[in-house]
Amino acid sequence: MPLALEVQGLTKSYGKKLAVDHVSFTIEKGQIFGLMGMNGAGKTTILRMLATLLRPDSGDALIDGHSVVKEPDQVRARICYLPDEAGAYRTMTGEAYLAFIAGLYFKKPEEQKACIERGREICGLGDALSQKIATYSRGMTRKLVLARTVMAQPVLAILDEPTSGLDVLNSLDIRKSIRDCAEKYGTAFLLSSHHMQEVHTMADRCAIMKDGVFLADGTPDELLARYEADTLERVFEKAVRGV
Amino acid sequence: MKNLLKKELSELFNRQMLISLFIGFFITAMLGGLMTSTISESVADTGTVHIIDMDGTDFTRAVLDELRAQGYEVETAESFETAVAQDGWTEAAVFPAGMSAQLLDAHEAAAIEHYTLLRSTSMLASMVGQTTSADAATDALTHVYDVTVYGEDGFLEEPVSIEKYTRANDVTVKADPVAVIGSLAMFDQFMPLVLFLLVVLTAQTIITAIASEKTDKTLETLLSSPVKRVEILGAKMLAALIVALTYTVSYGLGFAISLYTTVSHGIETNGIDIGGAFTQVVENRIAVQTLGLEIPAYAWIGVIAQLLLTLGISLTASIILGALVDDPKTAQSASLPIMLCTMFPYILSMVSDIRSLSLGVRSLLYAIPFTHTFIATAAMRFHDYPLFWGGLIYQAVFLAALLALALRVYSSDILFVHQGFFKRKGNEVKE
Repeated sequence: MPLALEVQGLTKSYGKKLAVDHVSFTIEKGQIFGLMGMNGAGKTTILRMLATLLRPDSGDALIDGHSVVKEPDQVRARICYLPDEAGAYRTMTGEAYLAFIAGLYFKKPEEQKACIERGREICGLGDALSQKIATYSRGMTRKLVLARTVMAQPVLAILDEPTSGLDVLNSLDIRKSIRDCAEKYGTAFLLSSHHMQEVHTMADRCAIMKDGVFLADGTPDELLARYEADTLERVFEKAVRGV
Repeated sequence: MKNLLKKELSELFNRQMLISLFIGFFITAMLGGLMTSTISESVADTGTVHIIDMDGTDFTRAVLDELRAQGYEVETAESFETAVAQDGWTEAAVFPAGMSAQLLDAHEAAAIEHYTLLRSTSMLASMVGQTTSADAATDALTHVYDVTVYGEDGFLEEPVSIEKYTRANDVTVKADPVAVIGSLAMFDQFMPLVLFLLVVLTAQTIITAIASEKTDKTLETLLSSPVKRVEILGAKMLAALIVALTYTVSYGLGFAISLYTTVSHGIETNGIDIGGAFTQVVENRIAVQTLGLEIPAYAWIGVIAQLLLTLGISLTASIILGALVDDPKTAQSASLPIMLCTMFPYILSMVSDIRSLSLGVRSLLYAIPFTHTFIATAAMRFHDYPLFWGGLIYQAVFLAALLALALRVYSSDILFVHQGFFKRKGNEVKE
């Protein structure tokens, strides 16, 4: 499969604090890659660098062959980023919000229309889309913003803790949506998560981060075998604690 | 209750609020001092009278002696024009040739001419117009006429009246300076108020909007979308401008209605002579035109350009300050620098002629780009073209530099990793 993302020695510091230290990995088109790590491990910094919001100190990342450092405009046309606990414009209706986002990614009305239609289908909010976002529950808002992230059919969708703070059923819905979009649209996903089970069930490949570096990466099964563990939580514990 | 109050106060009295408080205190204290010294400069010298004696008789010399006897310091000159140019006079009383003969021989009431140099349309200018050497000269002349010449009351109950002349832009016309200022003041004082409101409202609107976008993480969504930074910032600035204009138009309409109601009430209850008032208005307009105080049509384009540049600077500065704000709570503090930079020249231009302040204060005020819009109409009316066009160019350059800085800020990491002035405690960078 062709590569959606190729990260090459990405490095970023905040003052004297090294947040990400020469990280390299790849994601194929249609593949889901899970980033696991404790708070402060450097996950969000990687995601923000790939979303062109932060500039790497060194290294680069190619998204569909375009450099985040040299061609940020080209990259932005190929990615969609969902920040951790991202909200939406509360005064808009769900429908208006999808239309607004579609307008950012597509110029032609027919393309916008198709994009909005995909958004409606992905979020599954039905009639609630005609209501103001201010009236939405947390789960509904998250479904809406996930839909807006993938409806533009980006090469790479970057999701920062997409199910954080959601109940089990809403989390399951979100996971299913991500899986479906990867299969249906060939979108590659890079997501960060604290839920090992979530990564295990969803991700084709994953990595464990600590202090800005990858401690281990591979398919979930490879990691289980490598660390002789029965769950990814045990793998995580062994990798992070070095036991 | 005590616990709750403590919590509320600790929320409100944060670091940003205290810094704002101190800056606000020093600036307003400075402003008060500056205004006092400005007013003192203009009105303190009431012990000096300026006299131009064109009559040169024993009678007028006796009037000058009487003024000295009353404790005035009397300064004299050959003509008002030269005294303005050489000695910096701003007003003078003139004893016209033949005045003594008219009074003492013809027993007819005479007139002392009072000349005022108009340099601005500020409130202080109005005060200067009212504080006259002619008042002191009238008192002294009446005394000499009644007591010294006749030993008792003279033939005339009021031997002398005052004829007012106004000089501006090297032209002198027979007109009351206060009336001339009055005919311009409605616009010259209303426009700065509109500008002040616009700047403050746009600053607060835009900073709060950016802070909300940062809190909701919608800004990250926008900045990672395939839309040019300049479009995102431009849309925000334009929206804030439209909101502020809506507010301003609404306030302006309210003000106009209030003015109309007051005037109508005055006409109905006091029977104001509309015909007479209209004649006075026409006379004042003619005086304004003769003095060259009318702003020509082409110059209005420059005045409006200055206004738009100031709004552009305010909007761009707000966009930059918004980048340093992490939540709507700190937006108020962030707009403080813009508010003070607007308030400072606004108040000073209202009460005084900024162009006549000391070099240090003037330099400080001219460095604030907004000052140039506040004094734009005055500069144009009083033909200070280098100041007007210099101000316009300065504002244009300032705006260009600020726009470049804004684009740089919004293309940099500062939005997400700054640890700056307006960052609230506990908002550490998420890694």
